Amino acid sequence: MLDFIKKIYMRDDTSSRNQANNRLRVVLTHDRLNLNANTLNTLKEEIIAVISKHLDIDGTPEVRLITEGRNTALDISIPIKGR
Amino acid sequence: MDKKTSECQVIVVTSGKGGVGKTTTVANVSTALARMGYRVVVMDLDIGLKKLDLILGLENRVIYDIVQVIEGECTLRQALVKDKRFPELYLLPAAQTRNKDEITPEQVKQLCDQMRPEFDFVFIDCPAGIEQGFRNAIAAADRALVVTNPEVSAVRDADRIIGMLESAGFQDIKLIVNRIRPDMVRHGDMLSIEDLLEHLCIDLIGVVPEDKSVVVSTNRGEPIILNNRSTAALAFNNIARRITGEQVEFPTFEEDSFWNRLKGLGRNLFSTR
Ligand SMILES: Nc1ncnc2c1ncn2[C@@H]1O[C@H](COP(=O)(O)OP(=O)(O)OP(=O)(O)O)[C@@H](O)[C@H]1O
Ligand SMILES: [Mg+2]
Repeated sequence: MLDFIKKIYMRDDTSSRNQANNRLRVVLTHDRLNLNANTLNTLKEEIIAVISKHLDIDGTPEVRLITEGRNTALDISIPIKGR
Repeated sequence: MDKKTSECQVIVVTSGKGGVGKTTTVANVSTALARMGYRVVVMDLDIGLKKLDLILGLENRVIYDIVQVIEGECTLRQALVKDKRFPELYLLPAAQTRNKDEITPEQVKQLCDQMRPEFDFVFIDCPAGIEQGFRNAIAAADRALVVTNPEVSAVRDADRIIGMLESAGFQDIKLIVNRIRPDMVRHGDMLSIEDLLEHLCIDLIGVVPEDKSVVVSTNRGEPIILNNRSTAALAFNNIARRITGEQVEFPTFEEDSFWNRLKGLGRNLFSTR
């Protein structure tokens, strides 16, 4: 019974432990790159603008940071409209 | 007694954020190593805000300090304070009325080089922050122990410090998580050990639970490792053993069993004594 209650607890996305983890993921990535949320948004807009000058973008482009260990990569995924 | 190892290790204990448990760690781990028979010196580099002498209960024996050694007012030997309990343990006190900027990384290196032939371990208690005091503290160290608490601001600072240590060329950086409360982790109210390892991506060398007897032993000026019943005492003792290269099992970090395993380990360890 106790275990059951605990499980529900742990799955809860709003637990302060989960919130701390989510906030840390963002803040550590930004700290390591010396980047803030604003710069990231600008970067995203500019990348999309450059691409759309030459190609037709189809659907929702994605520009985001992915982290593996202490390393980070910029992940750009832009669907292009074909003929 | 002679040195037990041929190579001396200089170990800096650092954190970025203040108050996470650096000085408590230095006092206890070094006392544990001295109890095992190693020759140990603890160097207080928290100049201007020294506390190590108090935690070790040696405040009344301090005569000279590190700045006086560096400025040539006394010899290193004169400044070293012998521990009350373990004759193989010495404290090199910080100056209380001086400023961190009065010494340089080069001077700290020279001091450590002077101590290396005589000791198995030199522990450096680093001040909080990332300025001059931090640079002095890491200058001579062969390895680093990063202390953090399971709390966002402490983890953020630990990450920053790990990055700076890596840039400074450190190959051996280990994590100590202090003041964990397994009951809170279990209820989703505190970051777990796995969470911290996922964020910081370095090896773990110790997990120290929140323990009221830390405050009691600080009041008395007696390192907590001398208290056999405390869970923090066991944790600090395990860190000392891992530093010497011994494989000491960690309790599983499965939150539910953490506490029980820790208690079980404690019983085994202390009943064989
Ligand atoms: N595991 C623990 N359980 C309970 N209290 C603790 C624990 N570890 C440390 N403390 C308490 O936390 C306080 C800060 O510890 P300590 O002085 O070791 O931190 P510090 O990192 O050296 O601080 P500073 O940055 O100011 O030098 C002390 O009052 C200490 O008794
Ligand atoms: Mg301190």
